[in-house]
This record gives sequence, C-alpha cells and structure tokens, in this order.
Amino acid sequence: MDKGKKIWRKNLIKSLTLGVFLFLLSFTFEPYNQGQLALVLMLFIGVLSLTVLTGASGQISLGQGALMAVGGYASASLITNLGASIWVGFLVAVSATAIFGLILGTAAARVSGPYLAGTTLVIALALPSVANRFESVLGGDVGLIVDFGTPPAWISNLIEVGYEQWQLWVALPVALTALFFTSNLMASRAGRSWQAVRDDEIGAAVSGIPVARTKVIVFVVSSAIAGLGGALYGLRGLVGPSVYPVSLSLTLLTAAILGGVGSIAGAFIGTLIVVFLPDLIDWAISGLAISEQFSNYLPSLLTGVLLLATIIINPAGVMGAGHRRKH
Amino acid sequence: MKIRGSQTKRWVIGIVAGAVASTLAIAPSQAIPVRSEVGVSATEIVLGMQLPQTGAASPGYKKVDDAMRAYFDYVNSKGGVNGRKIKLVVKDDVYKAGLTISTASTLINKDKVFAMVGSVGTQTHISIIKDINRRGIPDLFVNSGYSGFYIDPKKYPTSFAALGTYVVESKIEADFLKKNYAAELAAGKVGILYQTDDFGRNVVAGFKQQGVIFPAANTQKFVAGSQGLGLTAQVQALQKAGVTLVVIGAVASATAITIGTAAKLGFAPKWLVTSVGSDATTFKTILASQGQSAAAAAFLLTGVISASHAPSPGEDTDEFVVAFKKINTEFNTGAADDKVWDNNVLQGMNIGYLTTAALMGAGKDLTRKGLIAFMEGKGATLSSAALSPLSYSSKTHEAYNSFWIGAYDANSVLKPIGGTRVLNTTDSADGPITVSTYKRPAIAADALPKVG
Repeated sequence: MDKGKKIWRKNLIKSLTLGVFLFLLSFTFEPYNQGQLALVLMLFIGVLSLTVLTGASGQISLGQGALMAVGGYASASLITNLGASIWVGFLVAVSATAIFGLILGTAAARVSGPYLAGTTLVIALALPSVANRFESVLGGDVGLIVDFGTPPAWISNLIEVGYEQWQLWVALPVALTALFFTSNLMASRAGRSWQAVRDDEIGAAVSGIPVARTKVIVFVVSSAIAGLGGALYGLRGLVGPSVYPVSLSLTLLTAAILGGVGSIAGAFIGTLIVVFLPDLIDWAISGLAISEQFSNYLPSLLTGVLLLATIIINPAGVMGAGHRRKH
Repeated sequence: MKIRGSQTKRWVIGIVAGAVASTLAIAPSQAIPVRSEVGVSATEIVLGMQLPQTGAASPGYKKVDDAMRAYFDYVNSKGGVNGRKIKLVVKDDVYKAGLTISTASTLINKDKVFAMVGSVGTQTHISIIKDINRRGIPDLFVNSGYSGFYIDPKKYPTSFAALGTYVVESKIEADFLKKNYAAELAAGKVGILYQTDDFGRNVVAGFKQQGVIFPAANTQKFVAGSQGLGLTAQVQALQKAGVTLVVIGAVASATAITIGTAAKLGFAPKWLVTSVGSDATTFKTILASQGQSAAAAAFLLTGVISASHAPSPGEDTDEFVVAFKKINTEFNTGAADDKVWDNNVLQGMNIGYLTTAALMGAGKDLTRKGLIAFMEGKGATLSSAALSPLSYSSKTHEAYNSFWIGAYDANSVLKPIGGTRVLNTTDSADGPITVSTYKRPAIAADALPKVG
C-alpha cells in the first residue's frame, strides 16, 4: 500500500472513530449540551476553513463569517424557494462559495497581510447592505428562515430523537466529511505546496510552484469549506446578516488561535473552548451574587483575556504547546 | 510506520472505550422518568425572556425586564401564584436575531424555563418563534405588534401578543390622518420613515389598507438596528421631498435619532410615531447623548402625535398608573436609570400583571398545555392597565384591538387630541374602524389580578 493510501485510510479511521464517539456521546448528553456540541461541529468547519487558509497558506482572513454567510444564503435560498432538502443545500452551498471564493481569491492573490485581512473584513461588513439590496431573494435584514427539520420517519419510529440531538446527528456527518477532506488535503502534495508558499513565497516559486495560482486555489478550497459550515450554521433557525456578523469571523479566528493555527486537532480544541467557556464561567459564578448586566459579558471578557494570554505566552496555541513538548 | 499504526489503534480503542463507558455511566440516570412540567416545581415557576439590554435598540426597552421582575417580586412577596414564586431569567440578545437563537436555546435547554414571557423585538422573535412553538412552550405577551405572529394560531399556537398589532394601530392612525390631514395627503406632503423588517412593513401595510399610500419620493427606510450609524441621509431626503408630515414606523431609539437629526437640519415637519417608537424618557435619553438638553428634547417632543392602547404614564390619577408606580418604587432593583417611571416600565408592569393572571388562571396543576388552553379560552376576559380589551381566542392571538390618538404636551405627557380620549377599534384584516365602548375594570386594592 502506498503512503498516500495509508494516510487516507488513517484519516478515515480517525474521522469515523470521532464520529462514533460523538454519536454515542449524544445519547449521554442533555439537550442543551447536544445543541452545544452541534454548535461546536458547525463552527469547527468554519475554523477548519481558517486552518486551510491561514495555517496552510499563511493568508489572513477577518471575514470568514461572510464566506459562511454565502454558503448559508445559497443553501437557504434553495431550501425556501425550491423546497430542496438540506443535503442538496449543502452541496449547493459548497459550490456557490467555491465560485465566490474564486472571484474573491483572484483579487485576494494580489494583496497580502493586513490588506487581505482588511479586504475580507469589508466583505463581512458589507453583508447587511447586500442582503438588504436583494431583499426579495435574501430576505433583507431579517433573513431566510430555515431549520434542521425533523428526523425522517424511519428514524423516529425506531427511537425518540430530540431537536438538539437531531441537529447533532445532521452536523456530525457534515463535519466529519470536512474533517476527512481537510486532513487528507493538508497531508497531500497540494497541501505541502501550500505550506511552501506560506513559508517562503520566493523559494516556492523557485521550486516551480505557481504562487498566485496556489493562493487562489487555497482561497477557493477554504471558501468552500466555510460555505459548508455556513449552510449548517444557518439551519439553527435563520440565515440573515445578524447570524453571520463580524463577531462570528472573530470567534472563528479566536478558536483557531487558541487551538493553534494550522492544526486540525487544534481547530477542534479551540472551537470546544469558545463554545463551552461561557458555560464553564456560568458554572463557576453560579453561586456568586453577580448582576446579569455583568455576568452576561463575562464570557466575552474572559475569552478576550484568554486570547491575549495565548498570543503573548503561547502563540502556537494548545496544539502548538503539545507539539513543542513532544520534541 | 508500524509505530504510527499502533498509535492510531490505541487512539481509536481509547475513544471508543471512553464513549461506551460514559454511555453506560450516565444511562441509569436517564432511566428515571420525569413526569413534572419543565420549569415548574412545588415552590417555583421559571420564566424566560429575551430583549436588547445593550446595543442600538436597547434604550428604553431594556427597562421592561426590570419592571416585570419588580411586579413578580411584588407577587412573590404576597405568596406567589398558588404558592409558587415566579422567577424570571433574562437574556440579552442585543436585538440581533443570530444571538436570539443562542439565548433562546440557553433559556429552553439550560435554564429550563416553563414559558417565555414578554420577549422584545420583531425580527429577533422571527428567528425563534417556530422552534418555541413546535416545542409547545408558551410564548406569552410578546412585545411585538407584528400581526404575522398572532393572526393564525394554527401556525404559532403558543405565541400571544402583548401589544396591539402594528396593522391595527396603523389603520387607526391612517384614519386619523385622513380625517385631520386630508389636504397634506392630497398634496403628497406626507412621508414615511420605517425600518425594513416585518415591524416596518406591517406599519406600511396598515396605512395602505386605509388607502394611504406614500409616494416613492416620500418613502425612506433603514436596516433595523443600524440607526446608531445615523439617519441623516433619510431625513435629508424627506426634507428635500418637501414633506410636512412624517410617519415613523421604527423603534424608540430610531424615532429620537430621526427627530434630533431633523432639528439639526432645520427640518420641522409634524411627526406621527408608532406607539412602541414613542417613549418620552427614551427620546430624551437619546437626545441627551447627542448633546441636546432635557428642555430642548422636551420642546422637540411637544406636538409629536402618537397612539396608545394604555393610559399615558404621566396620568397620575389613573389607578393602574398609581398602583404600578408604587410597586416600581418599592420593588424595582434595576439600575437607577432603568427604574425611572415611563411607558416602558408601565408596559413591563402590565406584562407582569397579565402573566400573573394567566398563571393563576391555568390553575394549581400548572402545565404548558393548560396555560395555552386558558389563554385561548379565557384570555380575552383578563383585564389589565390597558384601556382596550384583549382579543385572545382560538382564532387569534392578537392582544389589544383599540388605540387612542394623542399628542405630547410641553410636559412630555401624551394627551388625547381634542381633549377627549376616543378609543378606535379594528382588526388586522379589512375590518372597519369603529369607536370602542369598552370600560376597563378597576384594579384590586392589593394590585393583584383577580381571575375567577
């Protein structure tokens, strides 16, 4: 068996094992934590898109949430206007965001660093205006109402499935597909060429890697992954500008940094932190007499502190720290 | 490669073993059936609410929860409802529908609320109403007048309004315009500024139903929640169009920003503002943040026309106002600014009063289904501070169907135009507008609802 096939098999086993683990875990969780775990999987896909873009190719995006929105709108438009299934919606979301990423990536390849970050941020900020300009199709600033629906009869006849559990079960195969795809991609020849561009553009060019084209390809792939995550994320109830605000992009970036930019395991751990940290804080302060006005903002405050501490003390994030210890 | 293979194997076995162990460990606790209603115990009823406590739409509205809690604390001090104390859990959704989805999930699944009460916002509520309804969670006294939530109970069987619909209100306001500003309407001198969500669109629909259609040049809109960025362009456009009367279909903060901006531009039309957008203290607070003195703000508010289904909070002789004001003084534990008596506090108190009445009516054996059945069967018989009757039935979950039109005086009190309060009543469809003969029942001496 050649090396590529072995990596492919190893990633398949890892993805399936994680899937089985989370599937079994869904039976032990209360609905709230089932919903939170589903949210982890949705955001994890978004963070994976950053892992590819920033971790593998070194490009910075502050507007990844807007790419998720493109996927969300593509999927929701199809579901609400044509009655398509959510699974078809996912495919369309990936395709539409890939095309959007191609257009954006072509422009993005000409800029780098803070300019690229600024460009992507502007796209995220422009989203409400775009949604409002095409109100009849995109639902204006309210958005399009979509959801996960209910389990098919053959499942609900077998077992009682709650709304949050169903969310988790839908999110699981989608996230695992993204995980499997990204894991293989990062370990592939293409992934290595992206990393070469990230580490030294001139060196990569000398080695025969077309730098500009590579950057565009990475943008397309990253966008497609973000679009998939966005379609899934929108199914929580609504696809609209307020669902994909700039703060979503920053949350994705926070998760990527906390876990370790460029690490797939780090992406998962970082997402777990940003999703479950508010609950941990809630639990920690539950016995204290703190006003709601303050306690409602404590998670954001502490996440910010954690982010700053990570950047200053351990810039490589959780997985980066583990990696250093191994060596 | 051998090492890598064995590592993967160990990793897989570890995860599967962990999952199986955790499943087995927790499974016994799931075997115990829980029969009691969610959010109800022998001593407590947990209610949930979401509203903008921060952000552009928060001024004014952020006082509603403190007022509701104050009324519940008062009820609790009197022994609660059937021996159960009422606990209100509040989440800030910043008037962002994306956040509302998360806060609702927390209230439902983590705080395990029995019912949602008094949630504020149209576009925010749209994002969760379907989910709340399919779970069978009572969604009482929603602070939105969007008719789409209430006119088809088959669609949203658990949602009940706290306000008259924007369509009802706008129909009555349009009728007022036709009778009092016919010349301006005929000359195309009446304009509108509205927020581009179902709230704003409902307002436009109400006017249209009465034959008041605003010319395109006189129509300005903005994205709900974006008023903090300024509404100068819209106000300038209305000024340029030469309108002499402007209808505002937007939240209170947007109203204040609009009128404040117009004053700076030297644009002084007559203003007609939707009831939820016209609150004197919110108006003054926003204008103060723009550098206007309280006296200047009061001057700008004087003469602004609005509608109401309730007494004005400035009516010191109204028995509900007197009773609620006293409870607010004694029980409101909110921030100093948030407990200043005004329209929002009156509305919060009134929702607290109605919620208490509904919980009483649903009986000792409190269930979600029982509460909804009570609301549909007997909800219309409940009285409140409002001067309008309630409309709840199995055919509609709309609240108030009557409004009176007034104008703010120099003391920032909404007073009936012409001196006599006339309540007009209509429906959210094509029904006629007639004068209401409803007489509000008196409030009990202990300020608690009496449900029999």
